[in-house]
Amino acid sequence: MPDQRTEHFMAVRILLVDDHPIVRQGLRTLLQGRGDWQVVGEASDGIEAVEKVESLQPDVVVLDVTMPRMNGLEACRLIQQKQKNKDSGLEVLFVTQHDSPQMMREALDAGARGYVVKSNAARDLLEAVESVSQHRVFTALARSPQASG
Amino acid sequence: MKLRILLADDHEIVRRGLCALLQKREGWEVCGEASDGREAVEMAKKLKPDVVIVDIGMPSLNGLDTTRQLMQHDPQFKVIVLTITDSDQVIREALDAGARGFVLKSDAARDLVSAVEALQSKRMFFTPRVNDLVLAGFLDKGHVVTRNEAPNLPTLTVREREITQLLAEGKSSKEVATMLNLSTKTVETHRSNIMRKLSLHSIRDLVVYAIKNNIIQIQMPAQNHSAPETTVA
Repeated sequence: MPDQRTEHFMAVRILLVDDHPIVRQGLRTLLQGRGDWQVVGEASDGIEAVEKVESLQPDVVVLDVTMPRMNGLEACRLIQQKQKNKDSGLEVLFVTQHDSPQMMREALDAGARGYVVKSNAARDLLEAVESVSQHRVFTALARSPQASG
Repeated sequence: MKLRILLADDHEIVRRGLCALLQKREGWEVCGEASDGREAVEMAKKLKPDVVIVDIGMPSLNGLDTTRQLMQHDPQFKVIVLTITDSDQVIREALDAGARGFVLKSDAARDLVSAVEALQSKRMFFTPRVNDLVLAGFLDKGHVVTRNEAPNLPTLTVREREITQLLAEGKSSKEVATMLNLSTKTVETHRSNIMRKLSLHSIRDLVVYAIKNNIIQIQMPAQNHSAPETTVA
């Protein structure tokens, strides 16, 4: 079976995970600004996210924290665990309404590479996806975007 | 002639999603976007949209009080309230405020277009949960649960509710005065009246009251996290 990631190695393949379809639509609209990026799928909770990561092999998972069935932190841990031996290069970026340093720390501890607050997603999302797709950390609480290698 | 819609939500990402959804419909246009209730009221007065869609949990002026202010200015405004919860109290307050539509944010992609269509046809639109509640009220009491039957809320004026939210969000009387173009003394008077009417003794009590009565909302943490964050949703 061909590797979907190598077939489109120039593009960033993104999986959107949020329990609100309207938020996924908003994220999709924002990401469409980048012609070389492709939203390859959507999921509405953590369990579906883990399944779709397996089947779609995205480069970046844009993940909400608070979701039904399985929250984003648990999903992130599970995704990282499953990806550990695959050398996939997959990165997780949290987009959440929790404007909290504590939650940000937990997200990074769970294996995420980026953290963006939903209220500032329009400002930070593109830069964050760009950073994490290049395996650089991007964290931004409401007032302080920070990207680092 | 196009149907003109004003959107009010503090999250730009949600507004983008709503815009994308609504503008797929031929003949509909989003004529303005507001990021809080105060801005929504000003824009609605200026733009006179056919439909106003307001998020319930906005900073500065929440969606329920935005609806009250809009209806007070012009009862012909058609307002749809977007909410993350359909608790009995929120439903009653939305009805009481004058909303003609009530849509859960989680169902917006499915229901919002239908809601706008309903209002366009001079009908109301509510989620099944609201319909059940209204029907239950009708059956129980022989009439529809609506205005003046809101649950045991002390009668704060529109201005007092507005000031309650701002104080509960942590603003000082001076900051509130600046925001509302009032004198600090006037705000202090309102503050005293609010505390007296509600039998409250501290700002902490006021914050608790504001949370309990959906004037501000708590953002719950993800599962497996103990401490809730008290932020305005």
